[in-house]
Amino acid sequence: MTCREFMDAAEALTPSQLLRMRAAQDQPLAAHVGECGSCREWVESHSVLENALHALSVSTAELEAGPKVEQRLLQAFRKQEFGPQVMELPQKAAKSLWTLSRFFEVGAYAAVAAALVVGVFLGARILRDQQHKTDHAQAQAVRAPQSERVVLPRQSEATKTMALIPETASTGGAASSPAAKRGASQVRNSESYSGENEDYVALMLCDPLICSGEEQVIRMELPAAAAGRDGTQTVLADVVVGDDGVVRRMRIVN
Amino acid sequence: MPAEQTDEQLLKMALDGDEEAFTALYRRRQGPVFRFALHMSGSPQVAEEVTQEVFLFLLQRGADFDPERGALGAYLFGVARNYVRRAMEKSYTEANTTSSAEEDDSRLVTDFDPVRDIAKSQLSVAVWKAVMSLPEHYREVVVLCDLQEQTYADAAQALGCALGTVRSRLHRAHEMLMKKLKNTAPSLIGFTGNAARCLS
Repeated sequence: MTCREFMDAAEALTPSQLLRMRAAQDQPLAAHVGECGSCREWVESHSVLENALHALSVSTAELEAGPKVEQRLLQAFRKQEFGPQVMELPQKAAKSLWTLSRFFEVGAYAAVAAALVVGVFLGARILRDQQHKTDHAQAQAVRAPQSERVVLPRQSEATKTMALIPETASTGGAASSPAAKRGASQVRNSESYSGENEDYVALMLCDPLICSGEEQVIRMELPAAAAGRDGTQTVLADVVVGDDGVVRRMRIVN
Repeated sequence: MPAEQTDEQLLKMALDGDEEAFTALYRRRQGPVFRFALHMSGSPQVAEEVTQEVFLFLLQRGADFDPERGALGAYLFGVARNYVRRAMEKSYTEANTTSSAEEDDSRLVTDFDPVRDIAKSQLSVAVWKAVMSLPEHYREVVVLCDLQEQTYADAAQALGCALGTVRSRLHRAHEMLMKKLKNTAPSLIGFTGNAARCLS
């Protein structure tokens, strides 16, 4: 055992314990103390220190606080209220908790009432907006032929049937271009349209599955040639466009 | 009857308003508390004030004491330690002095010498002065373990640190005491340090 190992091990022991072990002669620490003069001197000097500390402890063992300290403490003890203080604490705590719970209860009622008022207000407003939208849509539907951009009601089965009638050769001379020819032939077919769609010319053979969506009427200017007329001027036309972007029908306004 | 009661039982009775139990507990425990404060501060006035504050604290906050965490004696040492620190800080502020606290904590070393009239031993006087000049956290362990003869476990509870910390601090404190005594009273301690050490 080296002195460093001895010092590490001696940290856990008091010098008197080391001396007792040295007397026993059967411990590695005691064996090292017997072999190493430096460590033996260290143990003996620490033993002297321990004895001196013990003597100091014994010499001061009778020292106590003066009687005035005890008198002051007893006065403080007699002034202190023990029983009621112990009882009051839970009562005070309970009262505080009850007040706190009432506060939260009233707050909860107020929050629910406020939520109801806000809900009623918002519901009324939503209903009013929906009613307004419905009225507006109906008004637009009524004005559809005159408006710039109106959603049309769905095409009736009768109209679709008429739109599927192929063009005939008897009307072929009225137009100079193929589109104009087709338009001219469909002008004839549109005679059997319902009153709402009167004067409209179908521009495509429409599959009912495809053409069943919403339609819009767009008023636009077209070259006169595109409308089957002579000249370079433009004409106003109402064009019915499906929600797929394909033109369904059109009519010349002027 | 109170003499047969444990500290914890006396404390419970005192907190229930039993003056006799409080007196018995005070008389049983005031001596160690007073001596701890005296050894730490070096002043009997401070020691009396600390003792009074400790038992007033026990009256007011004694219900917080948990017997499962340690003995009441160690608990009182812990409370006394805090009051001694406060007194030392207050004294230090009032004195407005500067000192190197690590190696020579002699801020509250007074002219009071408890062994002057009692022990009449030169070695005891030298040891007392050496203890009082130790840094605070080394002096604490020496006072608790050597002078108050508390166990390492009780000292650890009072100081709020690990048992190993107490052990290593005490070892270090003894080394420092030996060094101081070697300088002040080498013939008394009988330590020459001349022998060669085998540190290899």
